[in-house]
Amino acid sequence: MSWYKEADRTVTAANPIPSHRAYRLLVGAALRAQLQYRGNLLLTLASGIAYQSVGLAFVSVVVARFGSIGGWSLSQIAFLYGMRVTAHGMWTVPASELNWLDMTIRTGEFDRYLVRPAGPLLQLLCRRVYLATFGDLATGVIILAVAAPSAGMSMAPGPLAYLVLALVGGAMVEGAFQLGVASLSFRMVSNQSLRLLIASIMNNFGGYPLHIFPNVTRILLCFVLPVAFVAYLPATVLLDRTGDLSVAPWLAWGSPLAGPVLLFLAYLGWRRQIHHYTSTGT
Amino acid sequence: MPIIEVEGLVKEFRRPKRFGGPFGGLRTLLTRQYVRTLAVDGISFTVDEGEFVGYLGPNGAGKSTTIKILTGILKPTAGRVEVARVVPYQERERNALNVGVVFGQRTQLWWDLPLRDSLELIGRLYGVERARHLANIKRFTEMLALGPFIDTPVRQLSLGQRMRGDLAAAMLPEPRILYLDEPTVGLDVVAKERIRECIAQLNRENGATVVLTTHDLDDVERLCRRIVLIDGGKVLYDGSVEKLKAQYAPHRRLVVQLAEGARWHGVEMAGVTEDILGPGMVAVRFDPNLVGSADVVAAVLARHAVRDLSIVEPELEDVVRRIYAAREASF
Amino acid sequence: MSRLIPGVPTTPPLALTARQRLAAYWGVGVMQCRTQLLYRGDLLFRLFGVLLQVYLLSLVWEAAYPASGTAAGHNGHRIALSTQIAYVTFAVVQNWLLNSGGMNFIPHRVREGSVAVDLIRPMRFPTQMLWVHAGATAAQTPFALVALPFAVLAGGAQAPASAVAGVCYAVSLALAVVIALLINTLVSMVAFWTTESTGIFVMYRFVQQFLSGSLVPLWFMPNWLRVLAEWMPFQTTTYAPLAVYLGQARAAPVIGLQMVWCVALFGVLRAVWARALNRVVVQGG
Repeated sequence: MSWYKEADRTVTAANPIPSHRAYRLLVGAALRAQLQYRGNLLLTLASGIAYQSVGLAFVSVVVARFGSIGGWSLSQIAFLYGMRVTAHGMWTVPASELNWLDMTIRTGEFDRYLVRPAGPLLQLLCRRVYLATFGDLATGVIILAVAAPSAGMSMAPGPLAYLVLALVGGAMVEGAFQLGVASLSFRMVSNQSLRLLIASIMNNFGGYPLHIFPNVTRILLCFVLPVAFVAYLPATVLLDRTGDLSVAPWLAWGSPLAGPVLLFLAYLGWRRQIHHYTSTGT
Repeated sequence: MPIIEVEGLVKEFRRPKRFGGPFGGLRTLLTRQYVRTLAVDGISFTVDEGEFVGYLGPNGAGKSTTIKILTGILKPTAGRVEVARVVPYQERERNALNVGVVFGQRTQLWWDLPLRDSLELIGRLYGVERARHLANIKRFTEMLALGPFIDTPVRQLSLGQRMRGDLAAAMLPEPRILYLDEPTVGLDVVAKERIRECIAQLNRENGATVVLTTHDLDDVERLCRRIVLIDGGKVLYDGSVEKLKAQYAPHRRLVVQLAEGARWHGVEMAGVTEDILGPGMVAVRFDPNLVGSADVVAAVLARHAVRDLSIVEPELEDVVRRIYAAREASF
Repeated sequence: MSRLIPGVPTTPPLALTARQRLAAYWGVGVMQCRTQLLYRGDLLFRLFGVLLQVYLLSLVWEAAYPASGTAAGHNGHRIALSTQIAYVTFAVVQNWLLNSGGMNFIPHRVREGSVAVDLIRPMRFPTQMLWVHAGATAAQTPFALVALPFAVLAGGAQAPASAVAGVCYAVSLALAVVIALLINTLVSMVAFWTTESTGIFVMYRFVQQFLSGSLVPLWFMPNWLRVLAEWMPFQTTTYAPLAVYLGQARAAPVIGLQMVWCVALFGVLRAVWARALNRVVVQGG
């Protein structure tokens, strides 16, 4: 597989390979590389599932004893949890390599991306296929599938479409923050701790109904680090629990829109940081 | 008096068969099928106290495996090993008290902390009396010129500096036996020389038995009186360097530089071969046991106008190469 | 005879005295502690994560609790919400200190081959590893102590049920530290059998978090889970000492059980090491 052998045309800087084709080429290479690596696929998937399930297992034990958390039944909390994990999986499957940005900058690998005729972000995301992330996604989908009926979500096409939109939007919200923090790598030496902190907040706080939190925290989780937009707000719509909300219902209905907006802003930020990086030198 | 006795040593590695494919890792973990490699296949030798032995062999010959068995890290599959009358793998800690090791590629120093701290801790690990240990540290700091960087974290040292630190750490408890596993690998000429001198001094003055594993034949020529050459897990040669050369490469070469414009007419002598090295340069190879060097020189001078002559001893490298080649040819 | 100062013969000792061995192990532990402290930036961020966890769990329990503010534990005791929150606060910090530490030390050494260096030293390998892990825990202790008041702010606190309970807690905690060291060292020895230790550790942590009682105290567990936890050593590192502190368990049986586990785990560790030594294949010829 060579960059420069596009059978029908010559590739130049002015006439680069279109992104979708570049993506296919890159991912194909990364996938082949991963399958040659004799890692233990089963173990990796299992450990991913274990990692994501801790929170849910905890909730089921508590609910087994107390009946509900903040008025939400186990199925409903599981549904919420499933939405969050699925959204998280939908982001990490394509984009987990973002975590390695600071390493690639340090080793100079990133500079190579800048020289090639494809977007550096794309190349970064395709450098490796991390199969464990499929475990996350699978876990989320399974939880959703199991919990949705008993949580009271209607299976009509309308709500299902809304669910898909909400999951995509949620993935984008998480992505926006991961991308934003990653962009800081161009300025700081290592942002790994900050990234882990944000991931940890989104992971942990995102799976609970917002009204168990005191006011200040609720505002923070809605508007500062909008974890609520990832799963909680759309979930209230789908489970017909908008009565629980302390914010206006239209915010919940429109929550899937937050994702694209935030991700776009984050991407602008990313571009700006790269521009700054390349113009000031390494 | 023998201090290391190795008899009929055999080490076979059994590794689980590695499977490829998506469930490869899991199958490897659960498999009962093994792949066997014979790293050491019947090695025997004895080392006397105070000897300096070079332990040579190509990659994969079994050198590191032997050293690991001698230090008690690996258990042999068969054979007898005794070091200072202790069986290493049975009494690992007791053996460790007698032994100092330098691994060329791995450091025994604490990576993030200053060199001095590692050296001071060594004393406690080996039960060296404090005053004596401090005196030793001073002694080795001077010998190896550690002073300028003794307070720098090991992580920040250059390879040469770190190697000197490792050597000091190995020698500080004054072990009876010193194993050096490729101690000069990757070092520049000056650093190599310094380390060689220090090791030689320790062997000479303090009577430490040294087993030097190395690829660097200059190390061997400079330091070892005796070498043990192994390949394919077996001993190919065990004796002095001179005898090795005499046995396997008895030839000497007379390199002749002809005068300007002179031509080479050849030398008619039995047991002599000639190689043209270049314009005006010829090497005459002969076996000094069969033909006297003086005779060869006389024969050359009788027929040629010569600008310069020199007699070249066989290189150890050539000898070793020849031995490996002979071994490969016999497969 | 090896002589460094000519004329003064020395021979290395045949064996080290108990005192010398202790000094040696202590030295190794101190080196690890100091190394760990060099990386304290990391620790601060992780501590913040600990505080957030305390905060979150307190709120979840509050939301789960009935309006009356008390709930019955498995033996009929009534546990007040404030007690439960105090438990959560201490359990998270204690579990972080004892159990979140590097189980990565041995796998890393095995992978890099530097375990050879550890085996060259005249000390028992499992004991050496225990002390290394102890050094790491020692490095984390000041951070845990600093975090504690903040954790209490985020969650809650409660005085010990009695002065005696407080003292017994201290004893129990000391034993908990030893047991945690033993378990962590033991589990990380899996590195001698496989290179895939990271995945195994993730799953282990899942099990350990539950069975130690750091997420749900044993008194609220469903019966089958509680019985399982009681038979495992994990609960002696988190739940048991705190139960003593809060007056929910009697000290004598807890401390007795902990001592039994200490002895048993040490025996298992030595047995596992004997087998691991047979398998040692140091990477990188």
